[in-house]
Amino acid sequence: MASQTETAVADGPGLTSRPLQCQVVTPEKTVFAKTVDFVALPLFDGELGVLPGRAPLLGRLGYGELRIKVGGASESYFVDGGFAQVRDNVVTVLTNRALPAAKIETNGTAERLDEILKRPAVTDAEIAEKAKAVAQLRAMLHISNKR
Amino acid sequence: MAKARAIIKRRKAVDNIRKITRTMELIATARFRKAMDRAVEAEAYTKKIAEMAADLGESSPSTPHPLFEKREPVKNSLLLVLSSNRGLAGGYNGNVLRAAMRDYQDLQAEGSTVDVEISGKRGQNFWKYRKLPISVGYLQFEDKPAFAEVEKLAERYLAMFLEGKIDRMDVAYTRFVNTSRQEAVVRTLLPIQVDAADADAKPADAAPAAGGPARQRTPYEFLPDAEGILQEMVPVSFKVRLFKCFLDAAVSEQIARMVAMKGASQNADELSKTLTRQYNRARQSQITGDLADIVGAATALK
Repeated sequence: MASQTETAVADGPGLTSRPLQCQVVTPEKTVFAKTVDFVALPLFDGELGVLPGRAPLLGRLGYGELRIKVGGASESYFVDGGFAQVRDNVVTVLTNRALPAAKIETNGTAERLDEILKRPAVTDAEIAEKAKAVAQLRAMLHISNKR
Repeated sequence: MAKARAIIKRRKAVDNIRKITRTMELIATARFRKAMDRAVEAEAYTKKIAEMAADLGESSPSTPHPLFEKREPVKNSLLLVLSSNRGLAGGYNGNVLRAAMRDYQDLQAEGSTVDVEISGKRGQNFWKYRKLPISVGYLQFEDKPAFAEVEKLAERYLAMFLEGKIDRMDVAYTRFVNTSRQEAVVRTLLPIQVDAADADAKPADAAPAAGGPARQRTPYEFLPDAEGILQEMVPVSFKVRLFKCFLDAAVSEQIARMVAMKGASQNADELSKTLTRQYNRARQSQITGDLADIVGAATALK
């Protein structure tokens, strides 16, 4: 019975007014965990915004920018693939790497992108690897150029 | 006086060694704390992945993945041994290498070609001494293994496994049970064993289940779909598992060194005490001898 009442509370109107928790976890450590107003997740096929009260979600992340808004100020992180989970107003991002936009190494990123673009890829594995590296570097460049 | 001086010399040497071992013990303790903190921080990720996998499993029961596929007979296998770069860590390296050797011989007895990759100078020297072949050696993994580096290895192993270059991948490392217990084990990471995954997932599963029955059966929206996410999650779980082996090995190494150095300091203390006693006795007997000489000379002069 207790479970039913709890679900009822979670589905109630209070959910949208409650704050949104966001935590970003990498295999090495928890990068941050805090209360936010809005989260934009870089999913594999595009960006997805999360506001308080969003329905539960499990999604695959691509390479891109994770934006969070806390009281008007917004922060941006580079996220290197992984998974995202939204449940009960908690957004959990599991990723291999999460870099604050300010800390992205811009030195040589453009050159590396050029170099990779020039590299021939013949087999399926090579093509997949190349596509991945290109997507990764482009996302990095995009985020650091925006600042 | 010659004997007494020799004892003093030895005692000095022992005291110096004690100072060194004591310092090494302190360093190992500090490193152990850091490594332990890292291991604890890393647990959050493992827990979350297990939780998500459990949630996914509810909605899409057992998707076959090529990484789960068992291949019989095992023609080519790969053994990764995690040893330390430095010695003076008690039985740490010995235990790991013994376990690795046993596995190596077992695999060979089964008729498969074994590629051996060794992280750590100690293990490499051991293998070289036995004139056994090493395919790749790593020295960069010290007490702070970085995920990015481990991931590179993991990706290579995954590719090798999927291409059929290896049929099985084992890791020999020291598992960290608790601060007073670590054991050298050999674990098969590829193909991914379901029972091993269950054992890992259990503590993570048990916690939320106890926390509230309300969280069961959350109606998730899946992007792209449950199966797609699960397919993506399988290699990630392998990477995390391999990373955990490295973390465990790092923590265990520091503990082993700490314990070994503590023992060495204690032994040095004892030895120093014994030598002091011997020195005092030697000095006393020398004085007695000298006195007897003087008295003897005095009576002779009378």
